[in-house]
Amino acid sequence: MNLLVLYLLLLKATVTSFSGLTSLPVIHHDLVVERGVLTDRELNAAVAAGRAGPGPYGLYVVSVGYFVRGVPGAVMGMLALITPAFLIIPMARYLGGKAGQPRIRGAIEGVMAAAAGLLVASTLPLARASVSDAVSGGIALVSFVLLTATRLDIGWVMLGAAGAGLLAAVL
Amino acid sequence: MPAVSFRELGWIFLRIGNLTYGGGDPIMAAFQRELVARRRWLTAERYALAFALARVTPGTNVLAFCAAVGWFLRGWPGALVAVPAATVPSGALVIALTALYEELQAMRLAAGAIGSLLAAAVGMMLAAAWNLLRPRLVAGNRLRIAVLAVGALVLLVGFSSSPLLVLGLGALAGALWGVPSPERELREPA
Repeated sequence: MNLLVLYLLLLKATVTSFSGLTSLPVIHHDLVVERGVLTDRELNAAVAAGRAGPGPYGLYVVSVGYFVRGVPGAVMGMLALITPAFLIIPMARYLGGKAGQPRIRGAIEGVMAAAAGLLVASTLPLARASVSDAVSGGIALVSFVLLTATRLDIGWVMLGAAGAGLLAAVL
Repeated sequence: MPAVSFRELGWIFLRIGNLTYGGGDPIMAAFQRELVARRRWLTAERYALAFALARVTPGTNVLAFCAAVGWFLRGWPGALVAVPAATVPSGALVIALTALYEELQAMRLAAGAIGSLLAAAVGMMLAAAWNLLRPRLVAGNRLRIAVLAVGALVLLVGFSSSPLLVLGLGALAGALWGVPSPERELREPA
C-alpha cells in the first residue's frame, strides 16, 4: 500500500474520532474489510501494544501502520495521530481572547469543576482493572498523597511504583 | 512571568508524555501537577480551557491538549515542539512492543511493573482532580464548585452521560451561576 494512501486512511480514522479507541471501527472497515492489508488478529495486537506502553491509547494507530508497511508505515501512523491535534489552536486563540468577560470566566470555571469530575469518573474503570490487592491499593493511595501533599517530582512517583510492582512480582 | 525556554518546554513534554501509563487522562492529570501546581507556567483557567477544548478537537485528546499548552507557553513553535516531544518516544516504544508483543505477555515481571504504574495513575488522576478544585473552594464559591464537580461526577457515573455533554453543561452552569472567583489572566501568549 502506498504510504500517502496509508497516511490519508489513518488520518481519516483519527480526524473522525474524538477519543482513544473510537477510530477503531473506521480502521477496521478501511484496512481490514475494504483493503485487506491488515488482519483482525493484527488489529487486536496493535490495540494491546498501544495499551502496554506509556502514552495515549491512540498510539495503537502507530502499531497499525507498522503492521501494514513496517517502520515507514509506523511513521505515517504517527503523523496521522499528530495532525488533528493542531486544530485546537484556533479554538484556544478565539476563546483565550474572550476570557476577560465574566460569563466566559464563569463558563471556564464550570468546565474546570466538570473536568475534575471527569478525571474522577475515568479513574473508576482504571481502578477496577488495576487496584486488585493491598499492594496496588497502597501504590494508588501513596501516589495520591505524594502528589497532593508534597512537591515531589512525578517521575519519582512513577519510578517508585514500577519498582514496587517489580518487587511484589519477585517476592 | 518569563518565557519558558524551548529546551525546558521540550523536556517537560518528553518526560510527562512518555512516562505516564493508563492512556490520555493520566497524562493530562500529570500535566496539571507539573505545569499548574509545581511550576506555575499555566493558570488553572488555561489548563481547564485546554482540557475542555481537547475533548472537542478531533483525534487523540491528549495530543490536542499538548498542542494547546505548547501554544499557550510559546505560540506555534511551542506547539510544534510539545506534540512530537510527547509522542515520538512512546510511539517508538509501541513499535518495539508490537514486534515483541507475544514474548512480553508471558513475562510476569513486566506485567507486575505495568500493573503498578496503572495503580499509580489512579492516584495521580484523583490527585489532579483535587488539585484543580482545592484553590477554588474558597468562602462564597465553595458550594458552587462542589455542586458543579459532584454534579458532573453523578452524570458521568450514574447516568453514563457523554464527557462532551458534561463539559458543556459545566460551562453553561458556570456561566449562569455567578462568577465569584478573583480576577485571572487568560490572554494569548506574549
